Amino acid sequence: MAYIDIENVSFCYPGQSRFVLRDINLRIYKEGVTAVTGANGSGKTTFSKLLIGLLKPVKGRIQLNGKLLSSLTLAQIGRQIGYVFQNPDKQLFCETVEEEIAFGVRNLGLPPERVTQKVREVMDYFELSRYAQAYPLSLSAGEKRRLALAAVFALEPGLLLLDEPTTGLDPYRKQLLGDYLDKLVAANRGVVVISHDQKFIDRYATRLLRLEDGQFIEE
Amino acid sequence: MDAIVVDRLSYRYQAVGREILKNISFKVAPGEIVALVGLSGCGKSTLCMCLGGIIPHYLGGMLDGQVLINGKDTKEYRVARLALEVGLVFQDPDTQLFAPTVEDEIAFAPENLCLPVEEVATRVDNVLDTLGITSLRKTNPNHLSGGQKHLVAMGAVLALEPSILVLDELIAQLDPAGKRIINEILVDLRRRGKTILIVEHDPEAVSIADRMLVLEEGRLIKDGETATVLEWWESMLRHKYGCKSWTISGHAAGPE
Repeated sequence: MAYIDIENVSFCYPGQSRFVLRDINLRIYKEGVTAVTGANGSGKTTFSKLLIGLLKPVKGRIQLNGKLLSSLTLAQIGRQIGYVFQNPDKQLFCETVEEEIAFGVRNLGLPPERVTQKVREVMDYFELSRYAQAYPLSLSAGEKRRLALAAVFALEPGLLLLDEPTTGLDPYRKQLLGDYLDKLVAANRGVVVISHDQKFIDRYATRLLRLEDGQFIEE
Repeated sequence: MDAIVVDRLSYRYQAVGREILKNISFKVAPGEIVALVGLSGCGKSTLCMCLGGIIPHYLGGMLDGQVLINGKDTKEYRVARLALEVGLVFQDPDTQLFAPTVEDEIAFAPENLCLPVEEVATRVDNVLDTLGITSLRKTNPNHLSGGQKHLVAMGAVLALEPSILVLDELIAQLDPAGKRIINEILVDLRRRGKTILIVEHDPEAVSIADRMLVLEEGRLIKDGETATVLEWWESMLRHKYGCKSWTISGHAAGPE
C-alpha cells in the first residue's frame, strides 16, 4: 500500500494565478530512496511542504497511511514523516546541540535512558559529539545541516523527507549521510530526497521523479 | 599588485574560544580563479568573511595578521568601502536579501553608489539577463525558491561590478542550467581580469579554478594547481576518511 497517496492535487500560492503544481497523482511508498529533481523554482520545496501539511492543496487530496492529511494534526504527521528543511536555520532552536537532538526524542515519550542513548548514537554517527554543548546557530553551515538531519533521524519516522540534504556537506559527510540512508532503507523505511546533486542521486536513488511544468515525470 | 593578500592570518570568534584560522598565508593574482575546499567546520566561510571585512568589523573576535584587498588593509577600511572591491555571496542567501522585489534588490547597491539612473537600469537589465532571471524581476525575493535566491544574491553582487568575487557554496543549490550559467559567468569574468574565490565541495564546480587551496582544521595544508591538488585531496578523502570514489569524481559506482 502507498504510504502517501496524492490524488489530483493542485496548488498555487495565495494571490498568484500561476499554479505551481497541477493535477498531481502520485504514490509514495515506504521503501527505497525516491529522488525529486527539477529546475530551480519548479515547485520541489512547495511539493514537500504539501506532504507534511505545512501547505494545503487548493484542489485534490493527500492521504497518509490511509488517513486524510487534512484530518491530522501537524504533530501526528510529524511522527510519521521526518522533514529536514532546505535551510537548517529554520528548524534549530535549542540552546545546545545535545538538547536540539534530545528535544524531539523526549517528546516521543521515551524513557530518559533511551533518550540519552539515542542522542549519543546519532551525535556519534554524524560526528557532532565534540559540539554537544555548543550553540547550534554558532556551527558552520555543514555542521548545522548534520545537526538538523541527526535531530530528525533520531525520531525514526517511517518516511524521511529531505530537502537538499547534501548542500553544505563535504564529500566525506555526504557519504556518511548516504550510508545512513542505505541503513534506513534496509530497515524498511522510506526516504524522499529533493536534490540537484546528480552524483548522490545516481548512487542512492531507487526511483526518480522530475518535476516539470507543475507535473511529475517518472524516469 | 596582488588582488588578495592573506598574511599570517589567525582568527578566533571569542578571545578565549577555539582558533578557527591558524596562521594562513596566500596570495591571489588579478584574473585568477581560486577554489577553496575542506571539510565542514574547517574555516572556509570564516575566511570568506575575513576577505570581505565582515571580520573583524562586524563580528569582532581576535584577528592576527593581515588581509589586503587590492592593497587595502581590511582592518583600516570600512566594509562599505571594501564592498566596492570585493563582492561576497553568502552561503545562506536569506542573510543578504531584503528588498521588496528582485529588481530593487539588484538596483540597491548601484543606487547607493549614486550612479546615474540610466546606468543603474542598464546594470539591472544586464544582470537579470545574464543570470536568466528576467522573469523574476517583479517578484518578492522571499517568494523565490532556494536556488533562485542564490541567483538573485549573485546578481546583487554582480551589479556592483567588483574586481574580486568571493562565492561561498553558490553552485550547490543550483539546477544544472543554473550551474552552467554561473560557470560561464565566472569564466567570462576571469577573461575580463576579475579575481574569483569559490568555496565548493563538488569537484565539477572547482574544475574551472586555476588554483586550489585546501583547509584542514583552520590550517592551509595545500596550495597549488587545481588538477594536482584535486587529485591529492581526493586521495586524502579516500585514505583518511574512507570515501568511495563516487563522491568526488568519475562515474557513480554502483552499490557494493
